[in-house]
Amino acid sequence: MTSVARILAVWLTPAVLLAVPAALAASAPDGLWLGLTVCLVPLVILGLAAGSGAAPADDGRTTDGSLFPVVTLLLAVGVLLWANIALAGDVAVWLGVPRWQGIAVTATLGWLLTAWRPLRRTAPLLLSIALIAAVVPLLQIGWASGLGPIAGWDRVATQPSFRFPPSSLWVTTGRELAAARGRAPLVFDEVHRLTAPAGGVLRARTLDGSRLAEIEWTLSPGQTVTLRAGDELSRSPSLRLRFEADKHVPGAPSSGMAWAEDRPRRWLGRVGLLVTLLVGAAALLRAGLSVRLSRDGVGFVAGGLLAAFVWAQGWTVYSMLHAPDVLLGGITLDRLLELPAPALFAETWRRALQGALLVAALAAFLASSVALRERLGALDPTGGGEIGRDPGLWAGLFGGAALASLWPVDPWGLTLLALGGAGCALGPATLAPPRPGHAALATTAGVVGLIVFATAAAAQVRGAGGGLLGAVVAYPALAGAPAAALVLWLGRGRR
Amino acid sequence: MRPVTHRTAGVVLLSLLLVGFLLLGALPNQVSSIRVGGLSVLWWYGGVLAPVIGVLVAIRWLADPLPTPSRDE
Repeated sequence: MTSVARILAVWLTPAVLLAVPAALAASAPDGLWLGLTVCLVPLVILGLAAGSGAAPADDGRTTDGSLFPVVTLLLAVGVLLWANIALAGDVAVWLGVPRWQGIAVTATLGWLLTAWRPLRRTAPLLLSIALIAAVVPLLQIGWASGLGPIAGWDRVATQPSFRFPPSSLWVTTGRELAAARGRAPLVFDEVHRLTAPAGGVLRARTLDGSRLAEIEWTLSPGQTVTLRAGDELSRSPSLRLRFEADKHVPGAPSSGMAWAEDRPRRWLGRVGLLVTLLVGAAALLRAGLSVRLSRDGVGFVAGGLLAAFVWAQGWTVYSMLHAPDVLLGGITLDRLLELPAPALFAETWRRALQGALLVAALAAFLASSVALRERLGALDPTGGGEIGRDPGLWAGLFGGAALASLWPVDPWGLTLLALGGAGCALGPATLAPPRPGHAALATTAGVVGLIVFATAAAAQVRGAGGGLLGAVVAYPALAGAPAAALVLWLGRGRR
Repeated sequence: MRPVTHRTAGVVLLSLLLVGFLLLGALPNQVSSIRVGGLSVLWWYGGVLAPVIGVLVAIRWLADPLPTPSRDE
């Protein structure tokens, strides 16, 4: 049971769990693909028979003595912790708490759990808490809505437009515009009156006929500005704004039908995501380990993955039904931890459900921290798992991740980077290991894969274009994994 | 050459479930967007059928065989 919980906790970090509903909310088909791959890819990897190359010992550790997998996984674990602690900071900001507080609480608890020996086997308990605490708000919202998930989906997919509900905080009290950190531009497609409750400087790019103009307004408290269709609002960091109720949410899909429709020619990006998750799962779940699961164990893993996907679908549907303003300026993961439809519940019950959501996310993070530590310790070839028990190392890892998280980053982008990098370095050799005694070939292939991955990832700074090249830049594992596999194949042919 | 095991069959079936989604999305005339019973065909497949079948496939084919008891026992 413990290894089942470890597999689930290593794979289903909060950033991964929330990336699925976020992708579903942005575009139903793309989100479905992400959810399906997150659900099935670990099963594919666990199903692939263990090879004979870097043969694991009976206790689960590698016997070839190479430090390369340990260092690579250590870096990947560090980036995964960074992504999830940064997410905690985002959630804190979204809920109106200083960013550093969310980061400090999460990082300290994570470190304590990995450092204090009696608490190291708590992953199953923490996962159970996360499951219950996440499911209760979902069931409550479903019950309070009076709509089943299928009826809810149908209603979302037939919405003529995603509009600000009157109970939205963006409408009632207003929110700081900095909180709308999504990637989509804040472009209005109808006349919209904005109010600055506390005043401030509002900047917008307005369209006057065919002429673009940058305009800046200095607003006194309570003053309003009217923007027209085609105008784009700049994201001023310290400006609190109120939007109008029943107006289209800028950045949201134009309608429910547009949200539900699959756009053509998306398969290259989908293959890129699939390859990234495949090699990433091979590295995280299988590299240097022999995973043997009974039928019950496989059932628990598969059931846990399915439960996470079902939760993500239900949560997306009810969020979009009651709080389409989560899509303002493009969705971010942190917004999905705010209870949608606060007006449906009494204040006490609303606070309890909101608390349950936060408990679920924290428990999932702590379970992941414990499981990632155990995962790394199991790979340590020299010190009998010492790397997993070194409090100084883990304090440094959590401390570094916490410091880096003070600057907002995209948690899902970091997660993909960690999975892709570790996957290109370790994935191909895990799936097709070289013969015993040729561990150096696996290391060479891993280094080549990592270099190719890093080169393609660096090109992301210039932006991803279209076509195959664009897909490679967006998903660098599309180039890194084949490069490592090619080195393995060539090396095998020479011997 | 590695022998084809029950695990291989499971992995192939799971891979086919993933490929099925890509093929469904590539069908012409937005076939995947047709609504059946309240959901689109794509959602029925990607959100309901494929994950559920995947779980059943995993339980049926991916588990390690139980160790055979030795004659001494």
